[in-house]
Amino acid sequence: MIDNVTPAQAAQSFERIQCQWCQGMNDKTATSCSACGAPLDIRNVVSDSGWREAPRIRDMTEIRFSTSTCQVEGEVVPTAEINLGAGDSVFFEHHVMLWKDVTLPLSVMSLSGGFKRAFAGMPFLISIATGPGRIAFSRDATGELVVLPLHPGMELDVREHAFLLCSHNINYSFVRIKGLANIVFGGQGMYMDRFVTTNTPGVVILHGYGNVFERRLAAGESILVEPGAFLYKDASVSMTVVFQKLGSGLFGATGMNLAQMTGPGRIGIQSMYVHHKTE
Amino acid sequence: MFCTRCGSQLAAGINFCTSCGARVVVAPVAAPPSATPVTTQRAQSMVAPPPSVYVPAPQPGAPHICQWCGATLDASSGLANCPKCGAALQARSAPSISGWLELPPRKDMAKLQFGNSSCQIEGLYVPAAEMNLAPEDSVYFSHHVLLWMDPQVRITTMSMRGGWTRVFAGMPLIMAQAQGPGHIAFSKDEPGELIALPLQPGQAVDVREHMFLAATSSIQYDWFQTQIWYQVRNDKETETFYPVGMFMDRFFAPASPGLLLLHAGGSVLVRHLAPGEAILVKPTALIFKDPTVQMQLHLEHPNAGLFSWGAWNVRAIRSIWLTLTGPGRVAIQSVFERLEEESGNIVYTSYATSQYW
Repeated sequence: MIDNVTPAQAAQSFERIQCQWCQGMNDKTATSCSACGAPLDIRNVVSDSGWREAPRIRDMTEIRFSTSTCQVEGEVVPTAEINLGAGDSVFFEHHVMLWKDVTLPLSVMSLSGGFKRAFAGMPFLISIATGPGRIAFSRDATGELVVLPLHPGMELDVREHAFLLCSHNINYSFVRIKGLANIVFGGQGMYMDRFVTTNTPGVVILHGYGNVFERRLAAGESILVEPGAFLYKDASVSMTVVFQKLGSGLFGATGMNLAQMTGPGRIGIQSMYVHHKTE
Repeated sequence: MFCTRCGSQLAAGINFCTSCGARVVVAPVAAPPSATPVTTQRAQSMVAPPPSVYVPAPQPGAPHICQWCGATLDASSGLANCPKCGAALQARSAPSISGWLELPPRKDMAKLQFGNSSCQIEGLYVPAAEMNLAPEDSVYFSHHVLLWMDPQVRITTMSMRGGWTRVFAGMPLIMAQAQGPGHIAFSKDEPGELIALPLQPGQAVDVREHMFLAATSSIQYDWFQTQIWYQVRNDKETETFYPVGMFMDRFFAPASPGLLLLHAGGSVLVRHLAPGEAILVKPTALIFKDPTVQMQLHLEHPNAGLFSWGAWNVRAIRSIWLTLTGPGRVAIQSVFERLEEESGNIVYTSYATSQYW
C-alpha cells in the first residue's frame, strides 16, 4: 500500500498538532486533544506571572484512554461520563457518582488505613467500576474538570477529595501532610492523594472549585499558596508549611499558614476553596 | 436622534432603529453630582463629605469615556478593555427595560493599571485578581482572600480605628497590607463577579460589609454605622437585626487615584438614580452605593384578605426592603442571603416607611 502514496501525501499524514496542555500528539484536523480534551484551536490563556488557565473543555468533548472514552458534559458544574471498554476500569471516591448502567459492576479497592479517613461522616472508600458499561461522575460545586494524562514515570500529588476518577492502570496511595491545615481548621492535617503511573499511560480527572490555574516552577523557584487553594502538583515539587505572622503585641498569635511550593514541576491551584474536613 | 449602534438618524419617539433593529436607548438625564451630599448622620459630621463616584450616564457621541468608570480613553489606540477598570469597550451596554445595567463584560485576563503596578483579572466562575506590585505600591486586604503570593512580597498589618466594635460585629479586625515588589493574588469562595472600581481623587464609595476584596493603599478606609435596624419579638425574646449590616465600609481616595476591588455573588446590576428617584432593593443584595444615595428601611405588608389566619397574623407577613434614593449609582447582586423575616413581630425599627396593601 505504502508504495502508492506520494512522498508529499506521506509527509502530510504525519503532520501532527501537539496539545499545549498535555503534550499529546493529535491529528492535524483535530479541534480538541484526544487525550485531555483541551481545545487545540484556542490560544493559551496565561497571566503575566505565568499562571495558565486550565483549558476550558468544550461541552460534549470526547477523551480517549485505553479502550474507553470519556465525555465531558456541562460547563458550570461539569460531569464526566465514561464509556468503559471491556476489561477497563476506573476508580473514584464513591460519593462522586452521578448515574450508572444497571449492569455495571462496582467493587471496593482495598486500602490500608483508608477507614481512618472519613468524608463528611462517611467512611472513605475508593470504589472501582469495571467495564463494559457506562458511568458518570460530578462533584457538588461550580468548577472545572482538569484532565491530566499521566505517562510512565510520572507521579502526581492531588488535594484530597479533588480527584473525580482515575484509570485503573495508575497506582493510588495517600499521604498525610501534618501541619498544613491544622491551625485554620483545627483538624489533624490534610491528606494528599498520590498517583503513580505503572508502565502504561493513564489518566486522572480532577474537579477544581471555581477556576483552575497551572504554573510550571523552575528548579528552586518557589511560591506561597493559600493551603485551601492547592489542587495538584508534580511529586518533584516540594511543599512546606510557613507561618505568615499578622499583627503584633495584643494580637501576636494571629497569622496564617501558607504552603511554600518549590520547583521543579507543575503546580495547580483552584480559585475557590471549600474545605471538606476529614478525620 | 441617532442610533447608538449603527449611527443612522432616527425619527423621534420610535423604540427600535429602523436600519439595524437595535433598541433605541434614550440616555437618562445625567444629574450633576450634588455639591453637598446628604448621607447618614455620621457622614455629615465628617470634616469634608466626600463626593460620590458619580459617573454620568452613558451619552451617545462620547465614546472616549469608559462607561463604567468614567476614565478618559485614548480613542485612537483601539483598546479592547478600559485600562482602569477592565470593562470591555466594544461591547454594547444597553440597560434593561427598567434601567438596570449589567456589569460590563470583562475579557478573561483583562489588565488594569494603577500607579506603576498592574492587576490582571483571570477566570470566569470565581475570578482571581493577580497584582503585579511595583516597589513603591502596596495593597490591603483581609487575610482570608489571599490566594497565592511571591515569597518576596512583604506582609504587614494595618491598624484600624474602632477595632473592637468591629470584632463584635463580626468584621475582620486585621487588614493585611502587601508591599511590592512582587506578585500577589486574591479570590473569594463564591461564584460571582469581580468588580473593579477605580476611584479618582476626591471620590468615595460606600460598600456593604463582606464585599471588599482588596484596595490600593492610596484609598482611605473608613466605616460608619448604617443605623438601619429592626427588632423582632418572639415570645419574650427581642432580637435586633441589621439587614445591611451594622456598619458600612466607606472607601475614599483623598489625593491620588486608587483601585478598589469588590467581589459579588452571581450577577451584578448597576443603575443610576436621578435626584429624588427611589427604588426598593433587598437589603442583602446591595453591593455598593454612592455616598449621595440615601438608605432607609421600608416594610411592606401584603393584603391578606379576610382569611382568618391572615387577619390576626397580618403584621407578621411582610417584606423587608431597603429604599435607595438618588442621586447616584447603586449596585446589586443576584445571589444574596435571605433575611430572617418569616416569623415574629417587628416591634421597633430605625426610621422606616411602611405600606399596607
